[in-house]
Amino acid sequence: MISRKSILAVACCGVLAFGVAACGSSSDDSASGSSSSGGPLTGAGSTLLAPLMSKWQSDYSSRTGNTVTYGAIGSGGGIEQITAGTIDFGASDAPLTPDQQKAASDVLMVPWALSSTDPVYNVSGVDDGLHLDGATLAGIFLGDITTWNDPAIAKLNPGTDLPSTKITPVYRSDGSGDTYILTDYLSKVSSEWKSKVGVGTEVKFPTGVGGKGNDGVSAVLSKTDGAIAYVGAAYAQSNEFDQVAVENAAGNFEQPSLDTISAAAAAVKSVPSDNAASIVDPPKSATDAYPLASYTYALAPSNSDKADALQEFLTYAIGPGQSYGPDLLFAKLPSQILAADRATIKKIGG
Amino acid sequence: MTTETTTATPPVSALLAGKGRGIVDRFGDRALYVLTLAAALLSVAIVLGLAYKIVDEASSAFSTFGFGFLTSSDFDPVKGNFGAADFIYGTVVSSFGALLLATPISIAIALFLTELAPRSSRTAIGTLVELLAGIPSVILGLWGIIILGPFLNDHFEPILHAVLGWIPLFGGQYGLVGMFPAILILTIMTVPIVSSLTREIFATVPPTDKEGALALGATRWEMIKTVVLPYSRPGIVGAVILGLGRAVGEAIAVTQVIGNTAAIHSNIFLPADTLASKIANSYQGAATDLQISSLAYFAVILFVLSLIFNSVARLLVRSVESRSRSSG
Amino acid sequence: MESTRKPEHPLLAARSGNLRRRRAANRGMEISAWVAAVLAVGVLALVIASVAVKGIGSISLDFLTKNADPNALGSTGGIGNALVGTGILVGLATLMAVPVGILVAIYTNEFASARSRNTIRYFLDLLNGVPTIVTGIFIFGLLVAGHQQSGFAGSVALAVVMLPLVARSCQEVLALVPETTKEAGLALGASRWRTTVSVVVPTALSGMITGALLAVARALGETAPLLFVSSIFAPTLASDPSQPLPSVPVVIFQFSESPEPAKHDQAWAAALVLIAVVLLISIVARILSARMRRRLGAAR
Repeated sequence: MISRKSILAVACCGVLAFGVAACGSSSDDSASGSSSSGGPLTGAGSTLLAPLMSKWQSDYSSRTGNTVTYGAIGSGGGIEQITAGTIDFGASDAPLTPDQQKAASDVLMVPWALSSTDPVYNVSGVDDGLHLDGATLAGIFLGDITTWNDPAIAKLNPGTDLPSTKITPVYRSDGSGDTYILTDYLSKVSSEWKSKVGVGTEVKFPTGVGGKGNDGVSAVLSKTDGAIAYVGAAYAQSNEFDQVAVENAAGNFEQPSLDTISAAAAAVKSVPSDNAASIVDPPKSATDAYPLASYTYALAPSNSDKADALQEFLTYAIGPGQSYGPDLLFAKLPSQILAADRATIKKIGG
Repeated sequence: MTTETTTATPPVSALLAGKGRGIVDRFGDRALYVLTLAAALLSVAIVLGLAYKIVDEASSAFSTFGFGFLTSSDFDPVKGNFGAADFIYGTVVSSFGALLLATPISIAIALFLTELAPRSSRTAIGTLVELLAGIPSVILGLWGIIILGPFLNDHFEPILHAVLGWIPLFGGQYGLVGMFPAILILTIMTVPIVSSLTREIFATVPPTDKEGALALGATRWEMIKTVVLPYSRPGIVGAVILGLGRAVGEAIAVTQVIGNTAAIHSNIFLPADTLASKIANSYQGAATDLQISSLAYFAVILFVLSLIFNSVARLLVRSVESRSRSSG
Repeated sequence: MESTRKPEHPLLAARSGNLRRRRAANRGMEISAWVAAVLAVGVLALVIASVAVKGIGSISLDFLTKNADPNALGSTGGIGNALVGTGILVGLATLMAVPVGILVAIYTNEFASARSRNTIRYFLDLLNGVPTIVTGIFIFGLLVAGHQQSGFAGSVALAVVMLPLVARSCQEVLALVPETTKEAGLALGASRWRTTVSVVVPTALSGMITGALLAVARALGETAPLLFVSSIFAPTLASDPSQPLPSVPVVIFQFSESPEPAKHDQAWAAALVLIAVVLLISIVARILSARMRRRLGAAR
């Protein structure tokens, strides 16, 4: 019995010692970086932003010594958690709805990244760059168009051999900004979509398979022949998915790129008072615009007790942080947005 | 082991009655009583607090939808209509499917371990089966996504579809995720639970009854069929119900392989969703308060189900145990 | 032990064909039972082998010491912070659940009437049957809503999962301590509390340790209770329980949903580490329990 007790005692000491050592090692990083006035921040939200946020986290930490914690739980999660007050900032590709604004009355929206959600597909026998337009996309996700060799698709792609594979739409099963961007676009180009399904971070998709997060959707897409999905541009790029060339209002079929995304942003010159600028389905005048571009918003409470840290991090993100964007298909923020951002950031902390 | 001696040696009854003991002892007795009572009350309070919290959170969904929530198949965050029917269907089909497969396997394993296995290997094999229960569900889910799903999709489902495709259960499309892998994973999880409990139940069968049947010339199987199984039936049902409870409540492994699609299909190869899986998926990112409340309503349904399963299973298992105790 | 005696009943003797059928049915049952057992052990071996084969390649010192970053695209380094996080989460949960579990067991064995004993057992069984995702919602509402996620809340959630396991196994073990041992202590003049603390508990100690170990093994693998309560973590080593702490099962869960093979490899390797620890603890617990049962059985 003695030996067993002492084993237990030694084990307890070991755990405690390990814990103390770990405590000691982690308390170091808060001491350095005395040039910063801020502190650690916890945020959550958009998975579309996550790859860029990962770069921000490490760069910001080495510049200022402050740790930014970020959980990519989806834009819906970002909105819900900032409303519940469990995080310091949220990140959402979808602006707050009027109801959400009411529930989170002091939350400011700061557009801090510009990218797109891309319809991507995995069909053996079909190469990259399939032409689709808004009506066809709506038809596919509504379940009206069920096979890849449907006449509606064939009409847009003369000369391409389309297989008879069944179409499997893949959608986000969690609260997602990508879903918002897609449904925002589809509602604008298809009245049937608008009345049947509507716009939101989570909608009732009439057909298809669900996946959690950009990751989950990419996973299902890569394993299912005949699948079509929508993922953030960074994921489409890094997984080298075949991307749809979507027809914009000017009649051109565009794939997402820094140029086409910037063109979409440039088409909307005015910035609304709450900074929620929708740039999907840009007008005819934007000839090269990609129809599914969108801003990602930081959600920052104006009366946060971490106002200094928030201001510092947000200023970093729209400033030096933007340099990490282009590699991940995040385009430069246009000047009118930057101006609005700077004004809004000043409002944090009252 | 310390012993305490008083100066005299008082009679035992006086000791037990507390006479002649010091303040420390009386304080110690009281303290032990209070501490342990507090702990017991805490355990009860946790259950009650949990029930209260989730019912409270579900209250706005309940007042909006009432019991119609259970039959409504509409889960539409945009329009604000929520219903649990698709998910209840998924929960029922996945767990009943799992128990359909798990019950005969578990009974067979329990029979094996109590009647057939060489005595020396019984504990070893029994331990191995129980270790299956120790595999974390997230690892089973990972295995399901990367190994089981593709294997079923490439090799098993085509055969099943070709042979039995005329039954709507196996007709139509199949893919990498769906109800079927979820059923298999849940089977793997519930077999160890049901089999170890069944094994305990089998151990309570009076050996005299068993030997009597064998003496009358019954084969081992006939003895099992006429003595062991009927005797154990309520206990086996109880074990199965406990396994059902486990299957119904599993969120992580199911959400990894089931496809997260709210739908009611007869084809078990198609993706689906369950109550627990939907909570795991959507609770953190729900768009509106009503949606959060609806998911809490899901949690209440799950809690009520686990309450029912637990109570019924307890009654059944206890009845077998008390019967064996009384019949000696 | 198959019956080989020739049946003497005239009815049975007359129907020798029936005997063949009965023997065949018996054989069928034996085969099915063997198949079932082999199946169960086979699946266990298959799962463990898959994890081992797929995970072993990614295990390295780097993997065990670098930190996990679920947000980055591609391989992220390792599970160092998740290992530390799991250790702290489960350690704190054990510190909370084991004492309470032991105390509850002492109450039901020493002080409770038969009625309250049954009631408490019923509530513990209920608690054991609550789906862990529901526990997650409960703790989220209790400790996280309105505040931040925290490792502390995660530990409480794990402790709630562990409590019924610890309490039940301690109850069983305490009940096994012979009455004579208790009475001997009391007869020697020891008070109730002294007898319990210095006589009964030490006798049952290895059983209690077994129960605690099995509960720890369970808690190490739990994902659902932590999903809403301690799942947003930084790609750095963290050990402050007032902040959310990463944990190995949650990291596996997040990586398993990814399309990237690099993340899958990391998930497998993390699964290998987790399964090795869990199985090791389970086996140790069972060896201890067998030894204790033998000892207590002999003492009787």
